[in-house]
Amino acid sequence: MADKVYYALYKDDEDLKGAARKLVEGGIKVNDVFSPFPIHGIDPIIGVKQTRLAIVAFIFGMTGLILALVGFQYFMISDWPMDIGGKPNVSLLLNLPAFIPVTFEFVVLFAAHGMSLTYLIRNKTLPGMPAENPDPRTTDDHFAIKILQSENSGLENDKVESLLKDTGIVELNQKDY
Amino acid sequence: MGTTKKYWAGLEDLHEKPAFLEGQKKEFNEEIPTEDFLADSGLGKSTTGRRDFLKFLGFSVAAASLSACETPVIKSIPYLTKPEEVTPGAPTWYASSYYDGQDFASILVKTREGRPIFIKGNKKYGAFGGGINPRINSSVLSLYDNQRLQHPIKANEEISWDAADAEIIAALKSAKAEGKQVRILSNTVISPTTQQAISQLLAGINGEEGENAKQVVYDSVSYSGIRKANETDFGKKVIPTYNFDKAHTIVSISADFLDGWLSSTDYQVQYGKVRNPKNNWMARHFQFESLLSLTGSNADYRSAIKPSEEGIVAASIYNGIAKASGVKSLGIDTSAVDEYTKPAVEELLKTKGKSLVIAGSNEEAIQKVVNGINVLLGNYSSVIDLDNPINTFMGDDQATKDLVADMNAGKVDTLLIYGANPAYTLPHSQNFVDGLAKVKTSVYFGLYNDETGTNCNYVLPDNHYLESWNDLNPSDGVYALVQPTISPLFNTRQAQQSFLKWDGNNTSFYDYIRQTWDFYIPEEAGVFSDIWNKALLRGIYKSDTKEISAIEYNTDVLEESTGRILKLASNGGEWQIALYKKAGIGDGGSANNPWLQELPDPITKVTWDNYVTVSLADAEEMGANIYLGEKDPASMATVGIDGYEVTLPIIPVPGQKSGTLGIAIGYGRGANGEKVGRSAFQTDGDGQHIIVDGKPEPVGKNAYPFATFDNGLHLVNYNASFTKLETTYPIALTQTQHTIMDRDSVLRETTLGVYKAGDKNAYNKPHTIAVHEDGKTVQKAVREIDLWDDHPVEGVGHRWGMSIDLSTCTGCSICVTACHSENNVPVVGKDEVRRARDMHWMRIDRYFSSEMTKERGEEEGLGQVEMYAKMEVPSNNPQTVHMPMMCQHCNHAPCETVCPVAATTHSFEGLNQMTYNRCIGTRYCANNCPYKVRRFNWFNYNGYSKFAEVNPAQDSFSRMVLNPDVVVRSRGVMEKCSMCVQRIQSGKLDAKKEGTPVVDGAIETACAEACPTSAIQFGDLNDKKTVVRKNSSDDRAYLALEEIGIQPNVYYMTKVRNIEDNKEQNV
Amino acid sequence: MHKLSEIRQPLILGEKSYGDITNDIVNPIENKAPKGWYILLAISGVIALWGIGNILYLIGVGIGTWGLNKTVGWAWDITNFVWWVGIGHAGTLISAVLLLFRQRWRMAINRSAEAMTIFAVMMAALFPGIHMGRIWLAYFVFPLPNQFGSLWVNFNSPLLWDVFAISTYFSVSLIFWYIGLIPDFATIRDKVKSPVMKKAYGVLSFGWSGKAKHWNRFEEVSLVLAGLATPLVFSVHSIVSFDFATSIVPGWHTTIFPPYFVSGAVFSGFAMVLTLLLIMRKVMHLEDYITVKHIEYMNIVIIVTGSIVGTAYITELFISWYSGVEYESYAFLNRATGKYWWAYTIMMTANVVTPQLFWFRKIRTNVIYTFILAIIVNIGMWFERFVIIETSVHRDYLPSSWSMFYPTWTDIGVFIGTMGIFMFLFLLFARYFPVLALNELKSILRSNGEKFIKK
Repeated sequence: MADKVYYALYKDDEDLKGAARKLVEGGIKVNDVFSPFPIHGIDPIIGVKQTRLAIVAFIFGMTGLILALVGFQYFMISDWPMDIGGKPNVSLLLNLPAFIPVTFEFVVLFAAHGMSLTYLIRNKTLPGMPAENPDPRTTDDHFAIKILQSENSGLENDKVESLLKDTGIVELNQKDY
Repeated sequence: MGTTKKYWAGLEDLHEKPAFLEGQKKEFNEEIPTEDFLADSGLGKSTTGRRDFLKFLGFSVAAASLSACETPVIKSIPYLTKPEEVTPGAPTWYASSYYDGQDFASILVKTREGRPIFIKGNKKYGAFGGGINPRINSSVLSLYDNQRLQHPIKANEEISWDAADAEIIAALKSAKAEGKQVRILSNTVISPTTQQAISQLLAGINGEEGENAKQVVYDSVSYSGIRKANETDFGKKVIPTYNFDKAHTIVSISADFLDGWLSSTDYQVQYGKVRNPKNNWMARHFQFESLLSLTGSNADYRSAIKPSEEGIVAASIYNGIAKASGVKSLGIDTSAVDEYTKPAVEELLKTKGKSLVIAGSNEEAIQKVVNGINVLLGNYSSVIDLDNPINTFMGDDQATKDLVADMNAGKVDTLLIYGANPAYTLPHSQNFVDGLAKVKTSVYFGLYNDETGTNCNYVLPDNHYLESWNDLNPSDGVYALVQPTISPLFNTRQAQQSFLKWDGNNTSFYDYIRQTWDFYIPEEAGVFSDIWNKALLRGIYKSDTKEISAIEYNTDVLEESTGRILKLASNGGEWQIALYKKAGIGDGGSANNPWLQELPDPITKVTWDNYVTVSLADAEEMGANIYLGEKDPASMATVGIDGYEVTLPIIPVPGQKSGTLGIAIGYGRGANGEKVGRSAFQTDGDGQHIIVDGKPEPVGKNAYPFATFDNGLHLVNYNASFTKLETTYPIALTQTQHTIMDRDSVLRETTLGVYKAGDKNAYNKPHTIAVHEDGKTVQKAVREIDLWDDHPVEGVGHRWGMSIDLSTCTGCSICVTACHSENNVPVVGKDEVRRARDMHWMRIDRYFSSEMTKERGEEEGLGQVEMYAKMEVPSNNPQTVHMPMMCQHCNHAPCETVCPVAATTHSFEGLNQMTYNRCIGTRYCANNCPYKVRRFNWFNYNGYSKFAEVNPAQDSFSRMVLNPDVVVRSRGVMEKCSMCVQRIQSGKLDAKKEGTPVVDGAIETACAEACPTSAIQFGDLNDKKTVVRKNSSDDRAYLALEEIGIQPNVYYMTKVRNIEDNKEQNV
Repeated sequence: MHKLSEIRQPLILGEKSYGDITNDIVNPIENKAPKGWYILLAISGVIALWGIGNILYLIGVGIGTWGLNKTVGWAWDITNFVWWVGIGHAGTLISAVLLLFRQRWRMAINRSAEAMTIFAVMMAALFPGIHMGRIWLAYFVFPLPNQFGSLWVNFNSPLLWDVFAISTYFSVSLIFWYIGLIPDFATIRDKVKSPVMKKAYGVLSFGWSGKAKHWNRFEEVSLVLAGLATPLVFSVHSIVSFDFATSIVPGWHTTIFPPYFVSGAVFSGFAMVLTLLLIMRKVMHLEDYITVKHIEYMNIVIIVTGSIVGTAYITELFISWYSGVEYESYAFLNRATGKYWWAYTIMMTANVVTPQLFWFRKIRTNVIYTFILAIIVNIGMWFERFVIIETSVHRDYLPSSWSMFYPTWTDIGVFIGTMGIFMFLFLLFARYFPVLALNELKSILRSNGEKFIKK
């Protein structure tokens, strides 16, 4: 079905935040916001949930830890134990002190890389991906609010525009699909 | 002119059958269906399309290119018919003997696949206890020297043996006919059969009447003084057998009897027996000498004297003893040295009849005084044996001198030179060379076309002794056999064979030896073939020795000596030169041997060079460089006598008498570019020979010209000029810090008194550490504390270990060369040694004592900085310790822990093993090794051009000496002592085949085996019965750097000095 | 929003708007580079090539082309390694630790500091590689399955810990750095005119479009990465110090090494950052962003860490005397008064004495003085590593093996060469990458007060 997108451009993040608050109070669903830098406090207003990447990092870290320990157990203890300077190699526990540093490195390695990759993939920001920001200026000094007609089908057509008009916008673009 | 013959292809041809004639025209007899084939319609519908064609093309290209990559060709030729005594992979040992005109030794030669690769002493049956020296076990490398003369030459042109024989026989005949003088100049020939061959030849020339053919015996280093003295004193012109093992007191006046004096290989072994403090008695050793010799470094009491004072010292000892025994003393004022000799005299008197006084001088007068001393002490009853003398060094200096005179007078027509190199070793060799020019026919037998050879008409290459048959009679009653271990590498022939041939005798020398033996061995001895085979098997045949007879002696003979000694003493000038023989190079014969060139001098630790040693005091006074190192070169100086002058680097040596100069003989070989072996010449930083006006620059300078001829040949010169130059010269030392810095956990020594008192803690206190045990702090021995007990070593299988007795180790360095040849240790050349990159797995650390110790530092209240600075300076007449150092195979090896790739790990038999092909060369292990015994392959030693001239592994001949059981290490890997793991493995295999446990002594490392004094012992520390096990629990046993807790498997035995505890021993 | 008190002077000077910031950073990328840049690039390029030549010679002929010997198995090689790693610590420390501490002044410098970190760690990682006798077998240090069956690495070896520490540190820093770069690449992408550059930065920016959700994740990731990188920074140099601390060589076997090395690393790292920033600031006219305030803050860090290092030196000396261990005390005595006393003196003056000058406000706020002192600190820290590594082994337990170390041309060539490579890379960075963290800077612009907005 035909749909209409509004892009409201602002020159200041505070203005945008105010506008967004107004729109939401006006019962308008803000689809997304584009900004050159993180606008603190915008997320709750437009209903963006807090990310769970931290948990991902933790899980990856644990994987690293386990892998490391399993590796030591196999390499140094079970597969081919060697008498190295008389150091104990009968059990992982006895020999563990020597393995702490590498274990730590493994944890960090996995956590960092795992999380970062998830981050890029979830964002769909990968080499060669097309940019989605409506206006090149939104990465420079402009801030944009994106509103979809379809999401606000309940309201009459000019409601969105009229509301947008008096939020100090510098520009309003519409696109039809 | 062409032939008209016609050959028929067959009867058809002969009878010209038409069918045949028809067939002749065609190439093939049958019709070939070419037409049908080409007419074949199927051909047109061929399915080989473009793609298929490309496939084929592709395939053929691929195939072609694949066939280009071949597997590398390995040149290994199997035996066509395997000799029965050779088992590939298993060594064959031959009992043989070594004699080079200086040293005799009974040896065992190890051959692999027909190649001699290792030489060790024949300890079981051999004469002189199977003692050897570095030159002897390195001589196997000289065999493969491709610089040896490979065919007979006449005037530097190749000539066939037959031609040479014909011409020389003709020359001899004409000489005989015209009654011209014929001379054979040889070194001391101790081979009865060779001597007989020579005598036969001479007799043949002389005929019944006529005295025109004579043999002249000449030794580069002469001991004629002793013979003459004994002749006049006892009527026996002999060099006696000295039984050091019976001597409770040994007094040596500049006789280096452990390293070069007479048959030192013998004395080494004996000395070792009497220097073990565990025995009931330990010999006390006094040394009076000008230079710090190896012997002097082992002495309990050592005094530095000038060469000109030797006589005075001898006289002083004589007078001391004469006074005590109420005999008229010599009219010589000895007050100057009496205080030095006093302790020696006292000791000698205490041990009458069980002592030994010797003098190194070739001066008859001095030897007479020494004889007098020994007579007064009654040493001729047991210690000195005049009745079973040694047969080496029979040279007649006067005769040699006369010969040179005759030659120059043109009296000598034909001269055969055998076993001597007078053009190099004679003091006034130029006279000799000039004389040679006047000799009509001069023939030289030698391995090389060397200094003498190049001046002779004919040079006939002699066999290396490992290629020859011979018999040797080193001392009365001892008959040793030399047998070939490989057939001649080059077109060479034994000199003896020539003697026989020219005498018209065509028997092979082997048969000739058998004949003489058959003739001389008495009937009652048994069946000859049995005796012969046994002798061949053991390398030796011993006939019973004579009883020592009483001597008659009259002290009046000393009268004329007095004047002589006084005269000598008065001759002494400001600078006096004392020449000496180096452990490695000897009298110069070993200059061609890179192993020996790289062997550090036992005292100075200098390699690849000759130099002039001066006392520390003198060096400081003249402002010469004292601290020598990689970037601290030695100062140069010119040493001269009238008519000869050389420029040499100055090496300051503590313990040397001020005003004396020590120069080693045997250097400066090939000064005119003669081919005497590539390692006889200096190499530059890129490893290329240094060429000076067209000739390669020899290593060191020739010191023989400094020798003086004064009624005998003396290796001293009382009046030399010495001037220090401003120039410097890079010098290659393997050890740049000479004192132990009072680190008693590395090195422990004590005195006999303290040791006998029996309180271990007094001299060998174990390291303790405070630990908490059930609530209270206790001092616990470090040895009992173990950080990890997960790898117990006690009682688990084998635990290979060593014990090294610092008391009996003389520092002779045989272990170093033995290790070198056993383990294919690379030779790296002077430039690399200078950069402290010598590769020796086994080294001998030589430490001088210093005036400064921690105690004294505290007494004098010195600051640490000052104290340590003083500790670095050796005292003027230091005590010396020789400490063999190799991988200690620590049970808690620090090197193993740090290797990232586990290239060095611990074996279950206590070995610290190095996995070369796993090593990536981080050198972390070497840094973490407290003993610094790990050696890194900085370059590709067996391929890189820098080492082409020095490293045997780079030359297709010398490569044959490599031990196939030990891998040649590649560039970039770490290597170190493996405790000869290859020997351990084969030893275990043998035991397994026997079905018995490994018995102690069945397995020996190269160093332990080579050690003449048995200071190094190897064995299983877990076997309660082994020597090492016993030693390890001995009171003297300690572990170097025990307190670090790395638990080495090598035990050192505290050095015990036989000195009075309270006295200042060295004056 | 912004927690900056009124009395604090603004972090960004000049009347800047969001657009100005973008322009200030993007224009130099778009416009032709100044002549000076080309000259510098050429010089560093030549030096880099010389260094590479030396490295090839080293690998071709053997480690013997260095001045090492049987006693001194490590000297310049590992000295350089530790020196570079140390330098490589500032970047991550600045961006991670200061981020955790919410130190906003970091934002002007963290981008270039991180770049420096990454290049420095590259240089550092080079040395353990080329110091191997058989570098072509370098893969042996990884626990790879191999044709020999059970042949694994030795996890007891500090050198192996290094392998993992360095590689982790390098890759994590790289990611941290790049994730921060993505939005700025996007800015450039949208700003530049030339289609080629548009395409290139388009690829580099991974199609970033600054959505609210992305920004949300972005901040989370930065925070967590910072949290991970902080202990990593400390672990890396601690592990490097284990190479020595776990050995038995007197002078190496010292338990205070980890903290001592880390502070030393921060010390030298900040010095190097200053050295580079002060040049970049001048050349690229970034005075408004990298203010004297920044320089002063960093100088303060230098005083602190420098004093920690100084304390460590003294402690070492005291302990070696107090322990009464013969070898230990001699090692340090020899270090200070032995044949290498000069190296020790340089170390002491450059690391302990001269940095104290920063107590004077005049000096620590003066660009020239700061630059000179920073250089001195860099030199001093190189000598610290040399002193620790070389003077300890050249005279250890057995006097018979004592020896000296003399560098060869290859030693020097390789070291200088790495500097060339480093400078080369950094110049390329300064030219084509956003040298300041645009998005972060914009977010702190507000600290400059309301006045300029809507103008």
